[in-house]
Amino acid sequence: MAQFSATVYQNEFLPAGGTDVNAIVTVTCVGAGVAGQTGAGDAGEIIIIDTSGSMGDVRMEQAKQAAQAALAEIVDGTYFAVVSGNGAAFLAYPHVRSGPGMVRMNPQTRQEAARAIAMLTSGGGTAIGTWLDLAGKLFYSVPQVIQRHAILLTDGENNESPAVLDAAIRRATGVFQVDARGVGTDWRVDEVRRIATNLLGTVDIAPENAARMSEEFRSIMRSAMARGVAEAELRVWTPVGAQILFVRQVSPTVEDLTSRRRPVNELTGAYPTGAWADESRDYHVAVRLAAKAVGQEQLAARVQLVIHDQVQTQALVKAKWSDDHNLTAAIDEQVAHYTGQTELAAAIQEGLKAKALGDDATATAKLGRAVQLAQQTGNEEATAKLRKVVEVEDADAGTVRLKKAVDKADEMALDTASTKTTRIRKDG
Amino acid sequence: MSEDTTPVTYTPASSPCPTCGEPIAPDANFCESCGTQLGDVTEADAQADARAAQPSPDSGVLPISLPTFMLADNASAPPRRTCTECGGTIGPDLYCEQCGTKAPSERDHFREVPASWVAGVCDRGVRRRRNEDALALVASETPGERCVLIVMDGVSSSTDSDVASLAGARAARDRLATSIPRGLGTPESRESAVHQAITDAAEAAQAAIVAHTESASANPASATFTCVVLESEPEGPVAWVGNLGDSRAYWFPDVGEPLQLTRDDSAAEALIDAGAPREVAYGDHQSHAITAWLGRDSEDTQPRIRRHQITEDGWLLACSDGLWNYAVEVGDLAAALRATVAEAGGDPEAVALGLVTWACEQGGHDNVTVAVARVGAPVVVGETGADEENVTDERASEE
Repeated sequence: MAQFSATVYQNEFLPAGGTDVNAIVTVTCVGAGVAGQTGAGDAGEIIIIDTSGSMGDVRMEQAKQAAQAALAEIVDGTYFAVVSGNGAAFLAYPHVRSGPGMVRMNPQTRQEAARAIAMLTSGGGTAIGTWLDLAGKLFYSVPQVIQRHAILLTDGENNESPAVLDAAIRRATGVFQVDARGVGTDWRVDEVRRIATNLLGTVDIAPENAARMSEEFRSIMRSAMARGVAEAELRVWTPVGAQILFVRQVSPTVEDLTSRRRPVNELTGAYPTGAWADESRDYHVAVRLAAKAVGQEQLAARVQLVIHDQVQTQALVKAKWSDDHNLTAAIDEQVAHYTGQTELAAAIQEGLKAKALGDDATATAKLGRAVQLAQQTGNEEATAKLRKVVEVEDADAGTVRLKKAVDKADEMALDTASTKTTRIRKDG
Repeated sequence: MSEDTTPVTYTPASSPCPTCGEPIAPDANFCESCGTQLGDVTEADAQADARAAQPSPDSGVLPISLPTFMLADNASAPPRRTCTECGGTIGPDLYCEQCGTKAPSERDHFREVPASWVAGVCDRGVRRRRNEDALALVASETPGERCVLIVMDGVSSSTDSDVASLAGARAARDRLATSIPRGLGTPESRESAVHQAITDAAEAAQAAIVAHTESASANPASATFTCVVLESEPEGPVAWVGNLGDSRAYWFPDVGEPLQLTRDDSAAEALIDAGAPREVAYGDHQSHAITAWLGRDSEDTQPRIRRHQITEDGWLLACSDGLWNYAVEVGDLAAALRATVAEAGGDPEAVALGLVTWACEQGGHDNVTVAVARVGAPVVVGETGADEENVTDERASEE
């Protein structure tokens, strides 16, 4: 049985007249078990492979190997399907025309699915919205599957209008989770990020190498199978008259959850968190209160992890007004760290966008700020990736020059990695 | 055996766990179930004593005051507390589920209402981190017959004075729970018996404070001591007052001059004795230093004792400096009391709470404790209040 715990990091002291409370809440899950094996319901996995013409023979072969690697990680008993997508979506496995569109994994179905993957060939366009819609239909065709996850691989820009894709994303939201990977440099990071962010998954650039791409897929599927908690939500209670400034996941990646609030009651909102493995996630909650008199204490927020309306753990975010400057001036280390990391993600994305638009001045300023923040917050991955895009003159001051010739893949890798955060040591 | 030595019970201000009702281990500082801080390690003992002191049905003796809290042996769920700010429900995490206000712990805010005519409120105030004031009351069921008000103010610079002050107040109350012997019947022997009883009570408080002080403490717990004993004498009700430090007792007659019954053992009063004008003495930032107290480092535990014959209806009041700081002169406090009674009505608990609230509104820089006893006819509620309401209504209708 999964056990959740929550810890708060904050400076609860506010100066006279202070209104804004910031806290980092770390939620940790242990004993999650294996997806679909905890007795709570079945798990379902769908592997979606781009078979558009642009994939070509080489990339198609890499993708097929990666799909085989993912297939090998699916635990026996899990419902699964394989979808091939180009301008439309096709059910590559199981070989059915109607009825349940997913089958349980066993040695026989595993072998059949492997043969089906091996027979995939490339051709046609790219309409990712149709792929998502088919995956949704397949999941709905097996009602006992309560934990739904898909891996999506694409190599090209979507041929659908953004509105069509967004509509498909909306239909999938809350139904299944998607980890999305782009291969090559013709796909659009913002487009694929929109899919992954809304469908509570990850986005990254896949290595163009059969062995490494396979390793990536194996790792994604292994993580998915380790999520024994099918679905949970983060609930945030705030007092009468308070305003939630934002609710963000800040680790392992930055995701702004503020707009995804589902009201539970007048004072409580729920934010989806998807499935959980044995892991820790950090959330940054900012609440604005009406200031109280010095010496008063009040609760600024109750932050809870909830499964099926059952509170698993709760953390209390507090506010205490004080006239002791030594108490009120300090900014909590965790809050400061993640505030920096959030700004880092924004600076990288805005800098790359400006660079793409040819606004070199803004790009230089933003990416310079990013270099500075990555240095200050000790984010070595971001620092390494930034150095492939800019020449760093002074990391502490944030002065950089844009590189003349940049590998597009390096830019895309920097973009997809921008939301990944590092942790700092937590005392006590 | 005279009536005056009838054994009595008193009301300890504790139920199992004040928050969740779970049983508490005898030496617990916190509730095992919900984590509520428990003010006093002796609470469970006091409760057991109280239970033992309950008269058996056929013993022929009755307590002069009945417990106002059920000494619950049953495990029935306690009523959930409501928020003092907004009336919302207090959650199991001890914060209001509506407005988030922290619910005071039982030590930070508690009330005693031993009878319909006597009540006290002991509160942390606004600024202090904990409540080091203490309060303990006894009262007969019959209004005006007999009551004891004990107020103690733990010194904030000393260690654990919150625990020590409450233990001291309860020990003193226990000592004064039974009527003081009449003596030989002469005023002199009666006076000497009362002096002995109040001195004994102060010594009991002193012993309790010392017992709650770590032997190695460089900063031993200390507290003021003020007690008011109201007893019926042949000539009518008499208030006996004992005092050490700067907690105070007053007599506020409904008609006539209000009277401060205690004199502070403080730097300010010492300055006045030396010839300084009152305003100068009380304006000095050192004026709050006290010159007598209870505690291991006390030099003199003999309280100053005074007798006051009561001839009118009125209010007896004992308080810590958390209240009188905002009304140093007796007339100012009388005005605050009048305003409180006009607003809150004549119920003693409402009056005590009203004065505590008033002190908090003035800034609440210190812990605030107020104990009151209504002597004579109860204040009739509603006359002035109703008039004011009518006035408001008329104004509203004119608009």
